[in-house]
Amino acid sequence: MKGRIFSSGIEHQKARWGWIFIIPSLVFFSLFSFYPILNALYTSLFSKKLLSLKPPAFIFFDNYVYLLRSPDFWNSIRATFVFTVGTFIPIVVFSLLLALLIMSRRRFQKFFQMAYYSPAVLSSVVVAAIWLLMLDPRGLANQWVNFILNTPGIDHKWLAHSTMVQVSTMMVYFWKYVGYFAIIFLVGLGSIPKSIHEAARTDGAGGWSDFWYITLPLLKPTTVLVSIMSMLQCLKTFSTQYLFTQGGAPMEPINVITLNLYYTTIRDRNIGLASAMSIILFCMMLFFTWLQFKTFRSEEVHY
Amino acid sequence: MTTYRKKTRSRASPQSSIIDVFIWAVLIIAAAYIFAPFVFMFTASAMPAGDITTMPYRWIPKGFYWQNYWQGIRGNDGSFIYLRNILNSLIVASAVTATTVFLSALTGFGLAKYHFKGRHFVFMMILATLMIPFEVIMIPLYLIVTKLGFQDSYLGLITPFLVSAFGIFLMRQYYLTFPQAILDAARIDGASETMIFRRIILPNSIPAIATLAVLTFKSQWDNLLWPLLVAQTEEMKTIPLYIVRFTAEKHTDEGAMMAVAVIASIPILILFLRLSKYFIGGAVVFTGKKG
Repeated sequence: MKGRIFSSGIEHQKARWGWIFIIPSLVFFSLFSFYPILNALYTSLFSKKLLSLKPPAFIFFDNYVYLLRSPDFWNSIRATFVFTVGTFIPIVVFSLLLALLIMSRRRFQKFFQMAYYSPAVLSSVVVAAIWLLMLDPRGLANQWVNFILNTPGIDHKWLAHSTMVQVSTMMVYFWKYVGYFAIIFLVGLGSIPKSIHEAARTDGAGGWSDFWYITLPLLKPTTVLVSIMSMLQCLKTFSTQYLFTQGGAPMEPINVITLNLYYTTIRDRNIGLASAMSIILFCMMLFFTWLQFKTFRSEEVHY
Repeated sequence: MTTYRKKTRSRASPQSSIIDVFIWAVLIIAAAYIFAPFVFMFTASAMPAGDITTMPYRWIPKGFYWQNYWQGIRGNDGSFIYLRNILNSLIVASAVTATTVFLSALTGFGLAKYHFKGRHFVFMMILATLMIPFEVIMIPLYLIVTKLGFQDSYLGLITPFLVSAFGIFLMRQYYLTFPQAILDAARIDGASETMIFRRIILPNSIPAIATLAVLTFKSQWDNLLWPLLVAQTEEMKTIPLYIVRFTAEKHTDEGAMMAVAVIASIPILILFLRLSKYFIGGAVVFTGKKG
């Protein structure tokens, strides 16, 4: 062994150390990432129940066929889709707006950054619990909305009405993440060289055209990143919907795919079906990521 | 953090000062909107239930209604299980943070500074796992953990999160810029590779390690889905599970609910106030720009 190291030279020995350093992680990755994803694909082709004595039966794509025919699963797709579109688009727009406003200030930038970021550090469950109380019929949400709309004494049924409960989950998510993504936009804005803005101003561009023709195009990579990241987050949403339903909100309007997946695993113990569900979720995530890349047609931006 | 300085605008026409006031107003209103739920959580935790639901909401508690905290910690059944759940969260989050940081640094260093065959392939494979959402591999992981006999134990709660692709990515990017000359000098002085890692690499990557540590701790503190699957007895549950259970119970009053939320948030808020630059730095890792 020793002789081989000496004969193969220092570079070879270094290469061996490289492998030694990465092997522990590779072993864990194989066991806890690579194997599970293959296993999920495999399990989704079986009729398999937890704690069942019956051996799992190979049923090919029957789980997928069942899901695509199940109104319950289509409702989950609808719930996930509505939540995602209703949440990530406002997040992208308002976080960009906040970032631009913070950027235009010379003082208190640090304060606003920390303030807007702070909800993102709270646990999602804590956030959901706070909003659950604020959305109570006698809670703050009704008081504020009635104050703004000047409609005293009206209950907006935040947690009871099937449309409103969807809006409520979106509001919770929006509150938690809008500042987080504003921070990412801020870094993107900060990396656009000042000289470009100055050149535009010298050429007579006003604030609006500077934003429209300089800032926005140069910010495109950041916009793509924020919009994909926030979209993926929304597709995976679970905690808010779970706590709301546990707190008494109706299940059906906010039964997002992850929630359905959880109940299919825990309550129905049907892990073959749940695996198929997770694979469909995965495919949706891949598809929408690809779609966003495609619509933005993100050529590299140089500056 | 990058310094965000705006071009100096010396002209102070009445129009621009109106815009100025408007922008300040929007920023302050947005900050109030962000802060209001925080203030609500803290104030409501100090009020009796009757006060929380009076309209309009009184933002200043009449006194400190400590019974909320007592009910929250005691639980509706008087089992004081919340204390155990807090301890569990601390144990799991700390253990995951320690192993993730160590293994990410080790692997990141190996991938960045050793030129062996196949390292690009390995790195791409690890990056590819970033695309896999936890929800997809959750069931197979549950089966593995059950097979290993780890269900309802700390090992079960911790094991799937021992390494993180994000962590390896972050550490590798950091080490790529680490000067090779220092490593070579150490080798000439006779340092072994493990000694280089321990004595040179680890102490010199504190910012990256701190970023990874706070993000990992935060995400474990927040973790709900996995403990829901693995922790079956009340003794093995973590804070988020307690909050869900406590919220769903009939006899829980609003003040106690917020008291529990405050207790759950204090450690992470302290971390955030002390180490905010690492939190914010971690948010922008994927922009590829020096945040």
